Amino acid sequence: MKWLILILILALSILHHDVWWWTSEERIMGFIPIGLAWHAFISIAASAVWALAVLTCWPDELDKRFEEPASTTAESGSEGE
Amino acid sequence: MVLGIIIGYFCFLLGLGIFGSRLLKLTSGDYFLASRGIGPFMLLMSIFGTTMTAFALVGSTGATYKLGIGIYGKMASWSGIVHSAVFFLIGAKVWAIGKEHGYMTQLSYLRDRYQSNSLPLVLFPILVGFVTVYILMGVMGGGAFLEALLGKDVEGTPNMPKWLGMLTICGVVMFYVFWGGMRATAWANTIQTLVFMGTGVVAFYVITKGAGGVDSFFEAASKATDAVANSDASNRMTRARIGKGEFATYFLIPLSVGMFPHLFQHWLTAKKASNFKLTVIAHPVCILITWLPCCLIGMWAAGILPAETPSNAVLAIMVKRFSSSEVLRGILGAGVLAAIMSSMDSQFLCISSMFTNDIVVPHCGKDKYSEKQRVWMGRIFVVIVVAACYIIGLISNKSVFKIGVWCFSGFSSLVPIVVAALYWKRSNRQGVIASAVSVAVLWLGGLAFVFSDTLTEQVFGGKFLIAGLHPVTALISVSTVVLIAVTLMTSPPDEGLVEKFFGAQDSESE
Repeated sequence: MKWLILILILALSILHHDVWWWTSEERIMGFIPIGLAWHAFISIAASAVWALAVLTCWPDELDKRFEEPASTTAESGSEGE
Repeated sequence: MVLGIIIGYFCFLLGLGIFGSRLLKLTSGDYFLASRGIGPFMLLMSIFGTTMTAFALVGSTGATYKLGIGIYGKMASWSGIVHSAVFFLIGAKVWAIGKEHGYMTQLSYLRDRYQSNSLPLVLFPILVGFVTVYILMGVMGGGAFLEALLGKDVEGTPNMPKWLGMLTICGVVMFYVFWGGMRATAWANTIQTLVFMGTGVVAFYVITKGAGGVDSFFEAASKATDAVANSDASNRMTRARIGKGEFATYFLIPLSVGMFPHLFQHWLTAKKASNFKLTVIAHPVCILITWLPCCLIGMWAAGILPAETPSNAVLAIMVKRFSSSEVLRGILGAGVLAAIMSSMDSQFLCISSMFTNDIVVPHCGKDKYSEKQRVWMGRIFVVIVVAACYIIGLISNKSVFKIGVWCFSGFSSLVPIVVAALYWKRSNRQGVIASAVSVAVLWLGGLAFVFSDTLTEQVFGGKFLIAGLHPVTALISVSTVVLIAVTLMTSPPDEGLVEKFFGAQDSESE
């Protein structure tokens, strides 16, 4: 799944460089220039890809580390070293 | 009336500081990190509010007015992809390490990670320098916005001159940060983020109808776009004024969130690593909600306002011109100021905590000063930095967007350091220090071009670009190469040190 997320992010990055609409004055809904609308879509797509990443690849072990009673948590830590 | 509403909003924030001070336990852990108890929604709001500054509202509107809608792609949609990646791959991991070892700042982590007392001494002035420029952007943006929004009296004197606006904003933010610490800052960030997102939507609706001159929203929006299309500024509907290489290399700018010391501190306030999930998912959409209206307003302004309008004043002029009700104008003004102040508070708190925890304590000892004295030392340091920003803000009239981008370029160029600290066992202090020094030298050199258009014209013949690419490309390339080369040429770190920071990770992956 990690590979799929990586491929999707790479795809988004490539689609971000939309040279095909660089100087187009075409509009969406009558008022948004197509170049701007496309990048608004990229933002929504980024949110969807990150939602997929969170659902499938989130490192749950980060929280588990602190759930064990014998945790090494030391709030006093190194601030006074 | 407009001034009254804005003063009322400032009073509300002052009250929040006093309320925060009642909840505050005067320990540095509570003052700087809200005792690591922040939940998912407040984490999203405080992280998003912190990353949205004068740059996002005043800067984006002004830059679109000058350069066109490509500003959204350059900053906002790249940020949607890159910021969430940084929160996912760096933020959550930093949180776990910070909780495990009790770190309060970025520098305390890096000092411990590389067993080097010299590293914070090298990085501290660099980070404070970058944060100072960041604060400067908020101070200048806020002052210019207030001056333009509140207009002039019959004799032509501004009702709120820039110097007074800047002073008021700095004073209000310092008050609630100093009295309420991170708890008040997190609350203020959450409230201010909701305020600026809400008022942003209202402002967009009002300006759209005003700019189009008809009652129907979509018809008004179409008419406003028609006006741009039929004007000399029709290229603002495209990216004709932006180079393709420059546009592509802007993905390096949002990497800067990986090294913002104030954001680092917000990461450490989370109660659990899983609290980052909402931020990772919702951040790109929150950016969209904030930036898209600003870019459209900036584009429409190009078809309405005279060509010589100062870019930092565009948003305020559009709000003033198209919101007929004074009450509405006051609320919209407060919303823009909310966005500006929701970043400045975190920056003030962070430089205060870096000074206290990374300079005073390691070099004077933990017992020399009481907790209360250390908190006060941090506050005095903030006053000095803010005073410097204020003086520079009085004499400079540079575009907020231009200053912001260079500030972010500096932070981005330091990101290889935190990536190496988290993911490269072999990395050592020599490599990191050399990389930080290379960034400082190149960044200071570039600063001259940001502040002098004449010099930029003489050396680069127009825009400050290197072979058509944004100079951040060169900065990151140099810092990465220096980091790797110096590390490989010097001895590897102790095995015990590697075990301390990668042991838990290795055992989890087995």
